Amino acid sequence: MLNTAEILSQIAARPKNFSLSHDLYCDPGVYQTDLEEIWYKEWIFAIPTCDIPKTGNHATLQVGDYPIVIVRGGDGVIRAFHNVCRHRGQRLCPKQNGSSPKLVCPYHQWTYDLDGKLLFARDMGADFDPSKFSLKPVHVRTNGGLVYICLADNPPEFDRFGGFLDDYVSVSDVTNSKVAFSSTIIEQGNWKLVIENNRECYHCGGSHPSLCRSYSDNPLMTVMEGPNAASPEILEHWARCDAAGIPSRFVNQDDMQWRFARVPLLNNAESFTMSTKSAVNKLMGRMPWKDAGSLMLYHFPSSWNHFLPDHAIVFRLLPISPTQTEVTSKWLVHKDAVEGTDYDLQKLTEVWINTNDEDRRVVEENQKGILSPAYEPGPYSPHQEEGVIHFVDWYCRKIQDRLAPRPAMAAE
Amino acid sequence: MASPAKAFGEAPWKDSELLECAMVVPETTDTATFTFRAPSGAWFDYKPGQFITLDLPVPGGNVQRTYTISSSPSRPLSISVTIKAQPGSTGGRWMLDHLKPGMQIKAYGPSGIFHNQCQTGKKYLFISAGSGITPVMSMTTWAWDSGEMPDIVFVHAARTPSDLIFRQRLEGMADRVPGLQLHFTVEQQDPFQSWHGYRGRLNQIMLGIMASDYLEREVYCCGPEPFMQAVRDMLVALGYDMENYHQESFGAPVRTEAEAPVLDDVVPDESVSAEIVFAASGITAKCNETDTVLAVARANGLNIPSGCTFGLCGTCKIKKNSGEVHMVHNGGISDEDIEDGYILACCSHPMGAISVEV
Ligand code: FES
Ligand code: FES
Ligand SMILES: [Fe+2]
Repeated sequence: MLNTAEILSQIAARPKNFSLSHDLYCDPGVYQTDLEEIWYKEWIFAIPTCDIPKTGNHATLQVGDYPIVIVRGGDGVIRAFHNVCRHRGQRLCPKQNGSSPKLVCPYHQWTYDLDGKLLFARDMGADFDPSKFSLKPVHVRTNGGLVYICLADNPPEFDRFGGFLDDYVSVSDVTNSKVAFSSTIIEQGNWKLVIENNRECYHCGGSHPSLCRSYSDNPLMTVMEGPNAASPEILEHWARCDAAGIPSRFVNQDDMQWRFARVPLLNNAESFTMSTKSAVNKLMGRMPWKDAGSLMLYHFPSSWNHFLPDHAIVFRLLPISPTQTEVTSKWLVHKDAVEGTDYDLQKLTEVWINTNDEDRRVVEENQKGILSPAYEPGPYSPHQEEGVIHFVDWYCRKIQDRLAPRPAMAAE
Repeated sequence: MASPAKAFGEAPWKDSELLECAMVVPETTDTATFTFRAPSGAWFDYKPGQFITLDLPVPGGNVQRTYTISSSPSRPLSISVTIKAQPGSTGGRWMLDHLKPGMQIKAYGPSGIFHNQCQTGKKYLFISAGSGITPVMSMTTWAWDSGEMPDIVFVHAARTPSDLIFRQRLEGMADRVPGLQLHFTVEQQDPFQSWHGYRGRLNQIMLGIMASDYLEREVYCCGPEPFMQAVRDMLVALGYDMENYHQESFGAPVRTEAEAPVLDDVVPDESVSAEIVFAASGITAKCNETDTVLAVARANGLNIPSGCTFGLCGTCKIKKNSGEVHMVHNGGISDEDIEDGYILACCSHPMGAISVEV
């Protein structure tokens, strides 16, 4: 198990634009460091707000060792808490999704209000002061209909990203959508391999026959330089979106932790369907055309997303062990769209159910190979895998900054 | 020194004289206090908690509206009503939009039987919601002005903190005397303003915390009928002696005892027998209306999981197949679940024969 110094030295020894070492993908010490320095400190995508539309609805997730519950209060506000009873520590809400007027511990029925206050604990004696045993809150931000949480005491800055969520994602009016389908799969691979796989389409031609009907694997479709530099198709698409008042141009965080851009699908495809036509009759939000392409948003370390005119898919990954990752996908449609009338669930979901499974297999084989003592890091394609380089660079810099903070420069 | 602007007469105001609007003071959004004087200088004689009827010249013809008086007869030089424009109201809306100082209107009264000149040595519990605060405000001011502040627990429910009418005035009084204890509960917070009071619908648990000695207090309640109904249900379930309960609906103030509505609340009666069929277990049990479903289940060897046993935690939620129960819960069940036929066994009393899925 690697210690801090060993982790830092492996990162420092990494050849530029090469994949990471065996240990950085497989070692339990690295995994623990990833949890502590990345997953417990960064903002993490949790759920879309429409996952808990009504008072008392709640959703749970497990971030490393932390069980979390997110709940909508009587005032409509979404709050997050450590999903741990203040009595003897029982996990409070055991299910992925639930609904109840109060949060009640299944062990001894300590009863908390939806805002986390302990309302009632039986037979605790006259000296017991319930106000000292509220649920512990977790930081929450909701922008553009997406809920992000952060476990750090002092979370990193969020406002810039949040502002773009409001601008870009609100076009799809995710707040007024509903979850049409949700799937959770476990991939037998390190979380970084799951993201790396997602950040390139070098593998798409070989692995994703159904996705490639609508999605271009041309690397120029996803690697963009800035709001005014991209492939001609994209520039044309942006001009059309600009005219319609749909924010679309490339924006990113300086260190590439996140990025927004709306790109066209292949040959005016409308949606990620086998027919390449829309899967849902009712378009989301204020989307004017069926072929508005996909708003692609990723945010390290936990999420990538596609917002199409007729539906959206939000993806969340959470690490489970050094070589296991949970991937949850939710298909969102307009809240008034009726299954069977406005959309066919199978047509809506088949392409990404296939694609997720294809990616799972790729990642698992990738992990198996990296587990071999014979594995050694290899070079990323500069044309095809720039997105992977962005991620790996971001990851290494974060770990370095957090484990060995660079001395502050004196202001001059 | 200038002499007082106006001399006040010997006789109290009679409703043969028009009232002159002297002052309009905004209280909260859509709520304002209108103060009237008698042009003759007459003073006002009434009992705290009473109401007055105003004849309002709204377009399309005059309408008569009754409003409880928010001022106190201990300050007899003027009389005030505090109006919240309820959705769809014509009278209140007209007053807020058009009634200005200097205008004179016809008024009748004051009258009403919901009044109380709080006596020292007695203990009171005032419970109000929305503009139902006006009569208890009048009573509280009276008590304050008497110089012998009696013991009042003042409970008020509003939608948001900024809808709390008379908040500052009440706090000003409560800051200075121990006998006035304020407890506010709101349904929703205001954005960007912290709120330290209670949140949510008034329930038995809040009541117990606000006034642990509520059984010894004389209750004066004013608000919309569903609110007062919920208060009565709570008090009955808590074993409160309803002889000491007084109420006024702000929608329809009552003039005489004969006009007072007969309160036919459901009160489970020990002498009335009931029956519970536990469908899944094939057990039928005889019991009384005063028994809870949970207690009857236990007595018959059936176990319904439970926690708080007073309708808060929701652990004892079960499905009711048929029959009626009287349930006074404390937020442990959602309205949707109630609609779908669920009940909380710990706080449901069978009214006649019922069947549950246990
Ligand atoms: S552990 Fe939650 S009530 Fe005991
Ligand atoms: S036991 Fe808590 S609601 Fe019935
Ligand atoms: Fe893939």
